[in-house]
Amino acid sequence: MKFGFKYIPFLLLVLLLVLPLALLFVQWLTGKEGMQLFSFIDRAYLLLMGKSLLISGIVALLATITGTVCAFLLYKFQFSFNKFYRVALLLPLFISPYIFAVAWKDGFFWLLGNSATIYSEAGVIMVHTFVFFPLAMLITGTTLSQIHSGYEEAGLMTVSFRRMMMKIVLPLIRPALTISFLLILLFSLSDFSIPAFFGVRTFTTEIFTQFSAFYNFPLAIGQSVLLLLVCLLLMLSEARYLSDAPFLSVSAKGSFSKKYQTGNRKVLVHGFIWILLASALLIPVLMLTVQSFTGRTLFFAEAWELIRPAAFQSVKLAFAGACIITFIGLWTAFVKERKNQKLPDLLLLLTFIVPSTVLGIALIRYYNHPALNFIYGTSLILLIAYLGKFGFIASRIIGNGIKQIPVSFEEAASVAGIPSKKVFLKISLPLLVPSLFTAFVLSFILCLGELGATMMVYPPGTELMTVKTFTISANAPEALTSSMTLINLGVTVFFILLLFVFGKWMFKKFQYV
Amino acid sequence: MSKHKKYTKQKSGFGCHLLSLKSFIQTSKIIKVIIGVAFIIATGCMSNPNEVTVYCTVDQVFSEPILKDFERETGIKVNAVYDTEETKSTGVMNRLIAEKNNPRCDLFWSGDPLRNGILQTNGISEPYQSEQTLLIPDNFKEKNNHWIGFSARARVLIYNTTLIASDSLPGSVFDLTDSRFRGRFTIANPLFGTTTFHMAALFVTLGDEKAKQWMNDIKTNGVVVATSNGDVKKRVMNGELAFGLTDTDDAFEAKKESNEVDYIFLDQQGNGIGTLIMPNALSLIKDSPQSENGKRLINYLLTRETEAKLAESCAQMPLIKGTEVPDNLSSLDNIKPMRIDFKETSDKLETIQPWLKTWAEE
Repeated sequence: MKFGFKYIPFLLLVLLLVLPLALLFVQWLTGKEGMQLFSFIDRAYLLLMGKSLLISGIVALLATITGTVCAFLLYKFQFSFNKFYRVALLLPLFISPYIFAVAWKDGFFWLLGNSATIYSEAGVIMVHTFVFFPLAMLITGTTLSQIHSGYEEAGLMTVSFRRMMMKIVLPLIRPALTISFLLILLFSLSDFSIPAFFGVRTFTTEIFTQFSAFYNFPLAIGQSVLLLLVCLLLMLSEARYLSDAPFLSVSAKGSFSKKYQTGNRKVLVHGFIWILLASALLIPVLMLTVQSFTGRTLFFAEAWELIRPAAFQSVKLAFAGACIITFIGLWTAFVKERKNQKLPDLLLLLTFIVPSTVLGIALIRYYNHPALNFIYGTSLILLIAYLGKFGFIASRIIGNGIKQIPVSFEEAASVAGIPSKKVFLKISLPLLVPSLFTAFVLSFILCLGELGATMMVYPPGTELMTVKTFTISANAPEALTSSMTLINLGVTVFFILLLFVFGKWMFKKFQYV
Repeated sequence: MSKHKKYTKQKSGFGCHLLSLKSFIQTSKIIKVIIGVAFIIATGCMSNPNEVTVYCTVDQVFSEPILKDFERETGIKVNAVYDTEETKSTGVMNRLIAEKNNPRCDLFWSGDPLRNGILQTNGISEPYQSEQTLLIPDNFKEKNNHWIGFSARARVLIYNTTLIASDSLPGSVFDLTDSRFRGRFTIANPLFGTTTFHMAALFVTLGDEKAKQWMNDIKTNGVVVATSNGDVKKRVMNGELAFGLTDTDDAFEAKKESNEVDYIFLDQQGNGIGTLIMPNALSLIKDSPQSENGKRLINYLLTRETEAKLAESCAQMPLIKGTEVPDNLSSLDNIKPMRIDFKETSDKLETIQPWLKTWAEE
């Protein structure tokens, strides 16, 4: 088993996911056009890269600030509907940014009678901020709930609440803020759908244009490599934070976070959250609902008939994807935290930041071989793409769960002569259940909504919910596509709630950990 | 024996070997399971002779019912890959090019022949001729039958009747430079979709200098560059802009959705350049796994029945003589077409694309 646990996941990771990307890189490097390497880089390209970084930097800053304020309110203060707000504010993260852009554009026209203002860098920043701030809220909130009440109480004995927050709490959550900022920067930098929709030229839209208008694969791959290097540089420069910070941890073991009362600021707190909720979720959903009912015919039944088979298929695949991601995530996290093998985690980081189109092309070139039909011609190819896209996130969540288990537990068991397999199965694994569950849920929801890589590799004849919604949306009546989008959102919310209830039961059952 | 002692004993001597052997057996079990699963999947996923794979850039709402009819009538299962507006309908093209060395697709059904031209240039398509292909007029198919056209769309001017009266509309694309239309009209990004085709056709018809001048002039006149033809349709329907250039199927759908929208064909005057006619185009993929089924599907699509269905569902104009069309649909015989050579237009596109990119981005 030792051999199996040690090498099989690593071999799977390398053979299934890393090799396709490495081969694409080698092909590009040794190809005719690849000889010129980064010859496309000139002043204009550097300026474009700078502009893209600036836009994404502003997005990351605004989203981190907004998310942190929400996290402070929701995780440090006690007030009514707190848990409802936590779930509701997370939802924008699970809606396709493209749908957001379309809904917000219509919202602008509806509210102001003109949508010209949103077709700008400001529009991109606004929509990206609304889409990504929940990520900052989740990361910072988790960290806040792990700060031991003793620190805050000690501080409050000598200084004011504000000063204690600034001098004690803020420094303690600095790694979480850094990670939020970096992850949002990366997400924003690698998204092309919103800048393309709003007609804003960024480095990612440039890559997309080379792929899709010029079919110039070598140049597009070269540009992607450059983007990848920038992302990698950003991530590695903060490796210290990434490896040690409590990124997306669950069930803080052994710590009791201090909660405060809102006092006479209740209205202000609710007001702030509702304004945010309205901007980030209710207005787009309202727009979709209005559009669903303004057509000449009601399309909900037709939309459901179209989506139904695709929805079941999507749920099955997302479930399988989440299982694989959680398993590989557990393994990479375990070997990183307990065996000090950082390579698997680094490989997942690499595949995480590769643009979807590049990942798709790498997978096609590698797997599109008669001998590998059983992968390329089936849904297995989608599972591999999901692993590449979301494996890193699962690995980080589980990794932080492992960090919270005192090594002394495992050492004590080893001293007692219990084999490492048994230590892992009987001690570590039960203690990790909440983290594993969270990684599974997040992976499941992300797989359910994945579009970029899925569009490139989904097997002919396979119907998937997101793909179907987007393919039907071209030229179908607006009411039908809006109905389909709402059903799509409804299915996602249904599973979030279902898993939330199940999770509540599970966390209760494993509360001893 | 206590558990503690049992475990301690296992760690040394014979127990240790026993553990290694057990580990080996367990490991080989895992490998066997993996191989077994792979074998089952592999044998279950061999190319099925009763299937055909189609990559389709024509809107799914219109193409899927036709493919379902083919399935029902022939018993051949259709595995289709459609495209999305989000990826500007270029996702399947990227797939086709990436899959070149081991094609998975049997038939490429495109909404315009330009993409088929790209496949031909890249050596991805192969010629095909049959009795059905002979029904299509020569000017709507590639001379070696690398692609065969059917059911055509045309470029039209879609307008919002509440924002502009029909007698105030431009009659020609050249009128779009008129200052009275300043900032009131839209076209889709010329780097993608049928707008690319339209621009390339204008470059062929007018010559580079005049076409560039015209494009610069409409820009000066405040043209709004929309994301796609669908976006053009939506903006005109919503009343954001008075009119825009799009395709007949978009305009037809808009009319179904709103009473405030109508469309006209441009450049129909005696000396006008005519409007661009864009047939659907079918290409058989070279070395495809189910080539015979691909041919059967081509023959099925090149029939009066299919053209009649597309005329009914999305106002596509039949190319086969004698096809029945709905009363509200214009016949190709009544439209003045732009006289272009598709190959020349496709070649022109490659040379003007960098200029179009600069135009769109500046």
